[in-house]
Amino acid sequence: MTSTAASRGRAAPARRIGARQEALAGYALIAVPMLLFLVLNIGSIVYAAFISLWKWNVRLGPQKFLGLDNYVNAINDPIFRSAVTNTVYYTLIWVPLTMALGLFLAVIVNQKIRGRTFFRGAFYFPAIASSAAITTIWIFIMNPFGLFNQVRTALGLNPLFALLGYGPNQDWLGDYHTAMNGVIILNAWTTSGTFMIFYLAALSAIPHEVYEAAAIDGAGAWDTFRRITFPLLRPGHFFVATVGVIGGLQLFDQAVMIGNVDGAPANSLMTLVLYLYNAAFKRLQYGYAAAVGVVLFLIIFTATLIQRRIFEGKQATA
Amino acid sequence: MRSRFLTLSFAVMFVAAACGGSGSSGAPSTEGTGGESGAPPAESENTFDPASISGDVTLGQWESSPAEGTALKGAIDAFAAAYPNIKVKQTTIPGDYRAAMVTKFGASDVPDLFYVNAEYAPEWMSNQFLLPLDDYIQRQGFDTSKFFPDYASIFQQDGVTYGLPKDGNTIAMAVNTDLVPNPPTTMDELVQVAQGLKGNSKIKAPMCLNPSLDRGLAFLYAQGGSLLSDDGSTGTIDSTESKAAVQWYMDLFKNGLGETNTQLGDGWCGEALGKGDVAIAFEGGWLKGAMDAFPDIKWKFVEMPTGSSGSKVTINYTAAYSIGTDSKNKDQAWVLMQYLTGPEGMAKWTSGGIAVPSRSDVPVPAGFEVIVAGAAYAKPGSGFMPGYPDVLKAFGDEFLKQITDKTYDAGPVVTATKSKIDEVLSAQ
Repeated sequence: MTSTAASRGRAAPARRIGARQEALAGYALIAVPMLLFLVLNIGSIVYAAFISLWKWNVRLGPQKFLGLDNYVNAINDPIFRSAVTNTVYYTLIWVPLTMALGLFLAVIVNQKIRGRTFFRGAFYFPAIASSAAITTIWIFIMNPFGLFNQVRTALGLNPLFALLGYGPNQDWLGDYHTAMNGVIILNAWTTSGTFMIFYLAALSAIPHEVYEAAAIDGAGAWDTFRRITFPLLRPGHFFVATVGVIGGLQLFDQAVMIGNVDGAPANSLMTLVLYLYNAAFKRLQYGYAAAVGVVLFLIIFTATLIQRRIFEGKQATA
Repeated sequence: MRSRFLTLSFAVMFVAAACGGSGSSGAPSTEGTGGESGAPPAESENTFDPASISGDVTLGQWESSPAEGTALKGAIDAFAAAYPNIKVKQTTIPGDYRAAMVTKFGASDVPDLFYVNAEYAPEWMSNQFLLPLDDYIQRQGFDTSKFFPDYASIFQQDGVTYGLPKDGNTIAMAVNTDLVPNPPTTMDELVQVAQGLKGNSKIKAPMCLNPSLDRGLAFLYAQGGSLLSDDGSTGTIDSTESKAAVQWYMDLFKNGLGETNTQLGDGWCGEALGKGDVAIAFEGGWLKGAMDAFPDIKWKFVEMPTGSSGSKVTINYTAAYSIGTDSKNKDQAWVLMQYLTGPEGMAKWTSGGIAVPSRSDVPVPAGFEVIVAGAAYAKPGSGFMPGYPDVLKAFGDEFLKQITDKTYDAGPVVTATKSKIDEVLSAQ
């Protein structure tokens, strides 16, 4: 006991010097990326926050100090409010749906089944294909005379759809009641492969012993999933949910492809990023656009903190 | 900790990306807070001889099709022969032209001469992106009287000219001549013809109609309605006549005489006409090239039917050449501009069969007779007021809701449009 304490004491100065050198080397190595991060990322945020307080001409710079007027005007604009509602609605539905799909696919292709490499590749494929190409195909499929409506007619499902109030030639992406759900389904399909990859990584981190113990205790497949796999995937859930929420709140390209920059039909695909784009590039209101960017930042930041708190809390009680 | 850092950097990266456009703006300029635009330079007393200028000039443009590129190349080659001392460097801007150009204005790195679409001309003029041209026009004695007046007026603000229309289009009626052998000349006849076509099994609907002011404005004017008062100071879309005109247009949908392109399952109304989904569509000169893809359909342009307003009316769409306030080779840019918008250059450009002349002294290319005839009486279809895209959107959003929900009430459309017009006008 004493001898170890003594040896620790003797070794300490040398180790402290080593630690300091190590720290210096570490800081030196991260200095360049850190500087770039501070200037390009943090700097941009601070600059955007500054711009948001002005009437700002993109060529001439600040024109008039407005204080918080840009923020007040945004909150009073019904289109801004529907952009917030649409974006939050999309995120709230799309993230859990895609997580469920991704987890389902991951658990399936994690089994020792024949051709699982093929399935992994096949499920991941939509994620690497160009979103513009996939969205174009989706527009064809969901067209009033497109594949989806033809297939459901052929299968005799139309009475079922009629109960929900949809005619045989329902214009899914052109009807402002259904357009957003059309985008949600499209993106759940294309992104589930990416979430599957995340979940596969998380699945491989679960130790085999736990499953063996469960098997010895006589747990069935469903019990194993519900009581072991799902809870032990908690770090995976947090990562996927966080990446999902951040991505969801940034919805832009599919909405533009389907409803152009106006968020057509009838603002149903107007998202926050699209609203920002319109303010900046159509109306040339750069201060206003910066204010929208700051609001979006705050929403994403808050959402992430809340998620962190939720998952952290659960982990503590687990 | 690691994931928190990751999370933060994701959030940070996104906002940085989202705000990239605004971040690129330069330092506050000494050019002041605006208002003094249009002051002619001191040397304005000298006359301007285009032949005396030499040097390089960059030309920034979009390109909708390879044929358009060929047509422009023809005009540039003719310019090179006429002005051998000036070398033109073309830069085609791919993708979102407006956004790409706006970032160039922000970075003070603009081509010397470039296209400006009517749609965003008012914003680009009031943000001082564009150079006033009056000085050049005056010194050279360039004749602008041959431009169709409602093409030229779009690129003028407070009496200052910022662009010259490079070409122009008007909206005309395109009919399938097998289904409509005797095209209607009045709106009443149009309704009759459409009613006669209703239920025809060869087509999905008689007409393909645009659920907004992109085409609806032509019908609004034809039926005696208006958007703004004559001096442009107040919105008149809520007047009795305007409201009746909007209701009349909406009833075409209600009575099954027309459907939107998306209801028909087509990308646009030209495609609907080409695929034989409808017998009548309302489009501009661009339809001609597009219809080459559908050789089986026999069709022709005819002038817009006359409505209850009693006089011929339609709407136009145009684009201009402009020089940037920050362009480097302004004199060279002007020489190229006065050639391309002059009678000789425009004749070269429009002989490519893609574009339609914006001047009355240029020969009309074959097939565009109706489009050019409309230019004499067409009113601007865009760019005639600041913030018009927002007004268009307010009208279109509510109009589409009425059609989708099958409520067909012009009231909410008119109310929404009027309040947006008020908002836009009061922001000036």
